[in-house]
Amino acid sequence: MSSLSPFFVRELGYALFEPKGKDQFVTLTDTPPWLLDLWGLMPIAPAEINLAEKSPYLENFLDEANAFWKSDGSGECRSETWVESSPTEKEVPLQAIALRVQGKPVLALHSPDLAFREQVRTLQTARNALLDHERLLSEIQKKEILLHCIIHDLSQPLSVMHVALDCLSDEVMDAKRKKFIELGKNASEQQEAMIREVLQIFSADLRATLDAEKGDAEKSAASSPNLRRSADAVVTSLGPAFEAKQVRLVLTASQNADDIWLVRGEESRLRRIFSNLLENALRYSPAGSRVSITLEDDGEFCQANVDDEGPGLPPDLRPSQIFGLFSKGKEGGGKAGLGMYFCRITVERWGGSIGCASLPEKGARFWFRLPRAMATAGEQYKQAAIAPAAPPTPPEIPRTEGPLRILLAEDQDEIRMLTTHQLERNGHEVVAVSDGREALDKARDIPFDVILLDEQMPIVGGVEAAHKIRRDSANVSKRPCLIALTGNNTDEDHQRLRSEGFDFVLGKPFRLSALNDLFQRSAPSNQANLPSAQTPKDTERSAGLAAILERVGGDQKLLRQMIRTFLKDTPRRMSSLQRHIRRENSPEVAALAHAILGSSAIFGASEASKLARQIQVLGREAAFSQAEQVFEVLKEEIANLERNLRGYVGPKRLSSDSGTRRKPRRVAPKGSR
Amino acid sequence: MIQKKICMLGSFAVGKTSLVRRYVESIFSDKYQTTVGVKVVKKVVQSGDKEVTLVLWDIYGEDDFQKMRWSSFNGASGFLLVADGTRRATFDKAVELEKKVRQEVGAIPFVFVVNKHDRIDEWEFDDAIAEQIAAKGWTTIRSSAKSGENVEEAFSALLRKIMG
Repeated sequence: MSSLSPFFVRELGYALFEPKGKDQFVTLTDTPPWLLDLWGLMPIAPAEINLAEKSPYLENFLDEANAFWKSDGSGECRSETWVESSPTEKEVPLQAIALRVQGKPVLALHSPDLAFREQVRTLQTARNALLDHERLLSEIQKKEILLHCIIHDLSQPLSVMHVALDCLSDEVMDAKRKKFIELGKNASEQQEAMIREVLQIFSADLRATLDAEKGDAEKSAASSPNLRRSADAVVTSLGPAFEAKQVRLVLTASQNADDIWLVRGEESRLRRIFSNLLENALRYSPAGSRVSITLEDDGEFCQANVDDEGPGLPPDLRPSQIFGLFSKGKEGGGKAGLGMYFCRITVERWGGSIGCASLPEKGARFWFRLPRAMATAGEQYKQAAIAPAAPPTPPEIPRTEGPLRILLAEDQDEIRMLTTHQLERNGHEVVAVSDGREALDKARDIPFDVILLDEQMPIVGGVEAAHKIRRDSANVSKRPCLIALTGNNTDEDHQRLRSEGFDFVLGKPFRLSALNDLFQRSAPSNQANLPSAQTPKDTERSAGLAAILERVGGDQKLLRQMIRTFLKDTPRRMSSLQRHIRRENSPEVAALAHAILGSSAIFGASEASKLARQIQVLGREAAFSQAEQVFEVLKEEIANLERNLRGYVGPKRLSSDSGTRRKPRRVAPKGSR
Repeated sequence: MIQKKICMLGSFAVGKTSLVRRYVESIFSDKYQTTVGVKVVKKVVQSGDKEVTLVLWDIYGEDDFQKMRWSSFNGASGFLLVADGTRRATFDKAVELEKKVRQEVGAIPFVFVVNKHDRIDEWEFDDAIAEQIAAKGWTTIRSSAKSGENVEEAFSALLRKIMG
């Protein structure tokens, strides 16, 4: 030890000890001040000390140190930093180093106080940041679920209300009932505005967070998750749980190449989806059984299946219920019922679909499909080899007033029924189906002008159906116009759907008038059908007709029906009115004059309405001779009005169509056109 | 006197230090202070008619910044495996760490402590995870270092396992 300067070593803050038997040491340096405080050692070397008694940590480390001294190894053996409390409650960081000095074993102790505090500060900052990050992710997921609840679970019934009220308001009814329906529509519109406001706040907040997280699922393939790698990571993570329950977990992929499994989405959420599906499978798997994950390459989509050998799906539970909010299995279901819901909303948000079914022999299959990262329609259509005939602009909806052939794919029964009703009422030919697969079957058989696809449908989602329809119609001269119906109503969502190949996007809740606007955007002006040779009064009436047409949402058929009803009822009313004036039947005169007043006012015939009102008043006052004079003038006005209206509907139709509704024609299969 | 070494193991910020402080000193602080290095404290307890000195090794939580040094486990009689009931990722970490202990140290008694039970509104330790854990045959105790709920019980359960 002669070459060591005890003073110099002490000044550096080190204390040196030489081993003298089991756990016994002799000090080689005077004791540094920090050690004096901590262990109360003799300040002057040499002094004997049992280090194992002084510190349980050192007792543990001495085993490592002894092993080092006994070995032929060079260098040193360092302990990690540990913390001891002094008698004055001061925390002292310590580090021990076993080394050889001139071939003899030496134990050095020092207190890396400054370095330790710097390390604590750095780690504290880093770990606080990690905790904040975890909290943020958790908040994002909660918000996503809340956002989805607002978008879908609140707006779906609102869609039904809108469409139902639209249908009702097109019925012929008195002004009082119309008013009630208007009140209902106003209230539902108000509610919709409130939902949109909440949505905007959340989506702006969420978008900012997601941007910050760089988790945008729409990014390039380079940042897209790999389905196989994600599955593999989750299999590794859940492996112990499966082992513990003696359930075998097997992952197979139909293709070996790695990059073909790049899908639309975001890595952590994709893992969460696998995790939820596997946890669900494990919950229902008996010991000794097997859970298989198979990955399939399906053109533009990749599909993942999770098959178990459990009892299968409950017969009374539909797949849509299983993926619903707060849905739980009867036995051993999850706590909050959010797991499957999370899977559905996430997969659908990425343009995929999800489902489940009992397997033929035993067990259940849960599956989900995601678009390939490079397979967005927007990118596809840029590739001439895939879609050489794809036009740069949407196809025009046929310029015709005649019926359109419309395919409506919508899984919500009420919206499907009401929309079909309204479209048929407008004279269109409608085929309505409840899922994407049925839509594809129909689209293959029938040449539709317009296809309305709900974005989120069971079995095959709207995006996937749109891809296939566009691909199938790439080589035909006229492809159908694709319209997306969606509850995802941010600008980004609409932009995304257009990039997926939709020509138009209608946000839910949608109004039938918006749909009609799309249909009529390319159609000849409704005004062109109004009578051409017009007197000033005719012009006034035509303006009235135009206003009515606007009020009935541009529904020309409805307007014609109203006119036919007027032309049928008014002559009868006029004869009755004349008869009751002559019989001096006051109540009947007033009632009939009131009815004629109302029906004339509908068609903007202000002069006729004014005259009918005069007769109503004269009838109440029993001034029948005056009423008879006014009636003659009214008769002339009504005759003018009838002439005008007949010009709009055509005299031939009047006799055959009056008061009846034509049934839509049967839609002919492809090839018959 | 009998002496037993017990290690605290788990992800960072799950409450290992808080559990030790609550158990040894009956104090709790809401402020998260990360543990760097190892702290060793002792507590004398009664186990049946025997007095036992528990030597509690509060080991830093493993994460990307600090990796476990398994030599700290040398001579350990058992360990408390701690997770944060409000952070799902800490359960996965606990499963991983338990497997590591078996590989590095061998099968020694342990108790799985799901801490922060006072924050039940944020609880993520749902039935699915509980089933997974139960399937492993782990003894699980829900605790709160803040309220003191089940803290004594967690250490006592481990001691009973150690003492057989």
